[in-house]
Amino acid sequence: MNSTKFEKIKRPQKIALPFMLDFYPLQDEKNTRISQFFKNLKEGRLTTTKCKKCGKLLWPPRIICSECLSEDLEWTDLGVEGELYAFTEVKLGAPLGFAEDAPFCIGLVKTGGLLISARIDNAKYEDLKIGDKVKLKIVELEDERVFYRFFKDKEK
Amino acid sequence: MRKVAIVAGGEAKAGKRAASWRDLVQEAGKAMFEDADNMSPKDVDSIFVGAAQPERFAFLSYVAALVAEHIGVIPRKVLARTELACVSGQAAVRYAWNCVATGMSDIAVAIGVEKMYPPDMAEAQTSMACVLDREWDGINAFSAPPFFAVTAQRHMYEFGTTEEQMALVSVKNHHYSSMNPIAHLRKEVTVEAVLRSPVVAPPLNLFDCCPMTDGSAGVILVPAEDAKKYTDTPMYPIGSGQCAIGNVINNLASLTEWVPLKLAAKEAWRTAKITEDDVEIAEVHDCFTISEIMEYEGLGFCETGKGGKFIEDGEPYIGGKVAVNPSGGIMGCGHPLGATSIYHTIEILKQFRGDVDDGRYVKDANIGIQHSLSGAANQHSIIVYSREPR
Repeated sequence: MNSTKFEKIKRPQKIALPFMLDFYPLQDEKNTRISQFFKNLKEGRLTTTKCKKCGKLLWPPRIICSECLSEDLEWTDLGVEGELYAFTEVKLGAPLGFAEDAPFCIGLVKTGGLLISARIDNAKYEDLKIGDKVKLKIVELEDERVFYRFFKDKEK
Repeated sequence: MRKVAIVAGGEAKAGKRAASWRDLVQEAGKAMFEDADNMSPKDVDSIFVGAAQPERFAFLSYVAALVAEHIGVIPRKVLARTELACVSGQAAVRYAWNCVATGMSDIAVAIGVEKMYPPDMAEAQTSMACVLDREWDGINAFSAPPFFAVTAQRHMYEFGTTEEQMALVSVKNHHYSSMNPIAHLRKEVTVEAVLRSPVVAPPLNLFDCCPMTDGSAGVILVPAEDAKKYTDTPMYPIGSGQCAIGNVINNLASLTEWVPLKLAAKEAWRTAKITEDDVEIAEVHDCFTISEIMEYEGLGFCETGKGGKFIEDGEPYIGGKVAVNPSGGIMGCGHPLGATSIYHTIEILKQFRGDVDDGRYVKDANIGIQHSLSGAANQHSIIVYSREPR
């Protein structure tokens, strides 16, 4: 052993989920100009923006119409039900923050003239088929942020 | 505009490598320069670095100068990193080609690199899940496997494509990669093995998916009139097409018909003055088995919805209608995002030179194409190459 000095240094063993690895965006008006989308979700309404000038239904919600560049947009309801267009089940390869939930179903839902992706709760892959009716639900994070999902209503 | 030639290519062995991001690019750089006669790194005036996610996979940003430094290049004309997810490498080739064609550069390098095996695979999957729109699709866990799973489900639903037909793509590509020394996966698989492999996202199983791979590959481009100074066997980019429609899933043209691919192909054939019937080698983006089936259709090798039958009939094998992925494809060779498309470029160069194993050699081919897609298959890029100047 030569005379070189060795020293063990410490680093934190755990860190909180960093913002830049969080799939959920910041939702309040200080961080986004579409905070109304999330306020509407908190009221149980899934909405998006529609251009009042050219009529284009825009997804995701915008602040400027990508068709005619108008800033005159309005919030429109997409409804609380949808039809399953396609689906799968995440079994392997879920990212951080979702891996603990696996396996879980996700799919593409036709609702309000759009085809949007979503978690499909309350069902296993085998329970689902293309064309199934699914219902809107809102999930609330521990810090009051919200997001939409759909679920299969097994009562019917 | 000047005609352009690719005069050299070099690659790192693809795979789960005991090597860092910058180790990989040094290996490819050395192999690339050693493939050219009368060429030293200092002769290069421009460099384009294909890298999809160095910020995430290697915690490095601003990588163009870092790569130039490590392979001994002092760029004096044009220097840039190109990022286009899985097409980052082909974007580098396209820009290098354009710069040489316009006279902005006289010798340009396009080199791609990705290091995809961090210690924690969930973290790698997190990176992959921000390629699709993270706030509206990634947030719902739509990364590549689930997206291509729902694509496959709809293709099966609308056209009657089967899991067995998809498995045949995996069988073909692993067959060819078993003969490719740089490939990540070099074992043959059977239809039964594909169908019995672990389910990733139904209807896709593990062997329907390309692997996560470390790799790097680079090519050198010069004016066509100078090509023979550097090699006896250059190849020539003669046409290209690229198209993107939408990004978030709602705004795709269609889930089961890749409209941007059809438009990119039409433009590629028009600019190269060929038709799809002239294509002898097609190195295409088989990130999942369903992708290659839909590429047979989108490239016009068969009708929309008939891709499953096309592989069933053996048409994409060497000796069939067109040799698709004689390298073994991404499925067999691996998919180091920023480098992937440049492995494609080099495969066509090797095929034209006859520098491949007999079992996967497309003899006397004159026209080859490379195709890559990215994201939710909303963007497709094609380059057409000729063995002879045109």
